[in-house]
Amino acid sequence: MEFVIEATDLTKKYGSLVAVDKLDLKVEAGTIHGFLGPNGAGKTTTLKILVGLLKPDGGSVSILGQELGWDNPDARSRIGYMPELPKLPKHLKGRELLDIYGRMYGMSKEAREKQVPKLLDMVGLKERGNDLTGEYSKGMQQRLGMAQALLNEPELVILDEPSLGLDPVGMVEIREIMKEIAKEGVTVFLSSHLLHEVEQVCTNVTIINKGVALASGTLEQISAKIRGPLILEAEVDKLSKTVIGKVKELPFVANVSKDGKKLFVEVKTRDDVRSRVSQAITAGGGIVTSMNLKGGSLEDVFMGLLAKNQKEEAAK
Amino acid sequence: MSVSHSGWTVKFLAVVRYELLWNVRKKKFLGMLVVAFALATLSLALNHIAYALGGPPVELNPDFVINSNVGLGGFVFVLFAIVTTMNIISAEFESGTIVPLLAKPVSRTTVFLGKLFAAFLTLLATYCFLMIYMTVGGFLVFGPQNNLHLVPLSLVGALFSTLIWIAIVLFLGTVFRSSLIAAFGTLGVWIGTTIIGSIIGVLAGQGWIFTYIPGSGNQGFANGGPSPFGPTGTGVSTGTDSIGSNLINYILHPSWEVTYYKINIGGTTPDQIQWVRLYSEPFSNIILTSIAVALIYFIVFVAISWYVFRRAQVTE
Ligand SMILES: Nc1ncnc2c1ncn2[C@@H]1O[C@H](COP(=O)(O)OP(=O)(O)OP(=O)(O)O)[C@@H](O)[C@H]1O
Ligand SMILES: [Mg+2]
Repeated sequence: MEFVIEATDLTKKYGSLVAVDKLDLKVEAGTIHGFLGPNGAGKTTTLKILVGLLKPDGGSVSILGQELGWDNPDARSRIGYMPELPKLPKHLKGRELLDIYGRMYGMSKEAREKQVPKLLDMVGLKERGNDLTGEYSKGMQQRLGMAQALLNEPELVILDEPSLGLDPVGMVEIREIMKEIAKEGVTVFLSSHLLHEVEQVCTNVTIINKGVALASGTLEQISAKIRGPLILEAEVDKLSKTVIGKVKELPFVANVSKDGKKLFVEVKTRDDVRSRVSQAITAGGGIVTSMNLKGGSLEDVFMGLLAKNQKEEAAK
Repeated sequence: MSVSHSGWTVKFLAVVRYELLWNVRKKKFLGMLVVAFALATLSLALNHIAYALGGPPVELNPDFVINSNVGLGGFVFVLFAIVTTMNIISAEFESGTIVPLLAKPVSRTTVFLGKLFAAFLTLLATYCFLMIYMTVGGFLVFGPQNNLHLVPLSLVGALFSTLIWIAIVLFLGTVFRSSLIAAFGTLGVWIGTTIIGSIIGVLAGQGWIFTYIPGSGNQGFANGGPSPFGPTGTGVSTGTDSIGSNLINYILHPSWEVTYYKINIGGTTPDQIQWVRLYSEPFSNIILTSIAVALIYFIVFVAISWYVFRRAQVTE
């Protein structure tokens, strides 16, 4: 397995406050890895260490196979970073800013002329590229922040709360962008406190609280750790043996049981398989009247872990 | 990826561009040009204004331009240093724009040098504008001018005089990450050395100290001698503020000796005030000393600022 981020025993203190506490973090190449934690958990602090804005008090970090020393522009040239609520120079126009940042990446004129309009278009700022960033709304600044993180076609993109301050459409767009770049082989590491966001876009997740990693792994592993299997509960008219047989044939189904009109399908995947299950039911002659996904969401996992963590702390 | 020399230049120029575009659009910079223009115009028009108010008629003065120090003097150096430099590091921290900037693959040393160079260019442009305006204006108001070929020396001197203040502004701004402390701290230093300094110097006879402190320096007299009413001759300031005019005077009068005096207040009536001759030194000494003082202050304060900036943790 190839890791693009490997941090061991990472520690960062602000005075006496330990913001990041012996954190171990491994981000696998090609994944969309969520860094999930409540406010003040130490997410931003960790990300800032990864891009060289903060110096850790202990532990080691390697990024893209390179030991991250202090002020290492080489490592940064392969990373894109979007800060939390990015603050961009107000006196520059969106297009100018991207162009200048592009120069800082050492991009050629042709590369900049190709990338800048493409990215402005991608984040929905095509019409506003010639306006000063100081005149942008909060969400527009966030979008430009996303664009500047993708300028150099990075191998690793580090995003600090990418959907903060975005409208629902913007949130969906940002998620689409993340999925899009991941398809091209880019590793995406994003912090978030939005569980459903992580659940929707991430393949992997690390949960952090008070600077300590509580759990880390693929979304399925994390979920499985805490709760039982995911159950799809369907109400079916004309629920016959044939229907159950058809559903059982699906590759991701672990178990099927019934209770009157209710059909319980235990699935082994985190993918949304509702339509495939309902197709199988229809193929068997049944009629689906309702369908629900049961078994905790990531939210249940998260709350469960936090509660456990708090209990352990209290016991100490 | 190796860092080639041309790669470094591209990144350095990107920082310079980033900074210059920002400078040019800052109202403060426009304000600086307006102030420069106003000061120069005032010094050109002063005699006409005096005449209009009942003063003596305006006479042709072929030495106006060469003695005008391109319209610059002590406080203006400080003012321009503050305007060009108070923001270059501290405001990036204050506004949070330092976060996306330092996440780019440009070493902090390059960012630092690029910003400093941009401040220097801004200053150079302003001073060139002033020099041309004063020269043309002087010609129009006071008739044909002598020694115009020496005018660029005032420009060089003015740059030296300002660099020392730039280094102090930069130092305060970088260490305290506050533009206000940078601006007012520097003003405080200037007030301390210039106003209080010259009083102590003359009264206590310890004026030589001020040769080694940025600002107006010690006061002496050249090309004259003692008289019952105090020393005669041309007043000479030894400080870093006067490098330009001293350079010109030295070329015009290479054999000048400068003599220093102190004032003894023996009694209560004016005729009991005594000017006591302290010592003399060749004019060339003064010039070499003040250039060395300017350079040493510049190097020391810039080096400390660089060291602090390189190690700065971005907690913003
Ligand atoms: N500049 C700072 N000075 C002192 N303490 C800080 C500073 N920045 C962060 N902290 C503290 O470090 C801890 C972690 O903060 P951090 O910003 O990393 O959390 P976060 O997980 O990003 O939270 P959020 O979801 O609110 O963005 C918090 O307790 C915070 O108060
Ligand atoms: Mg945060």
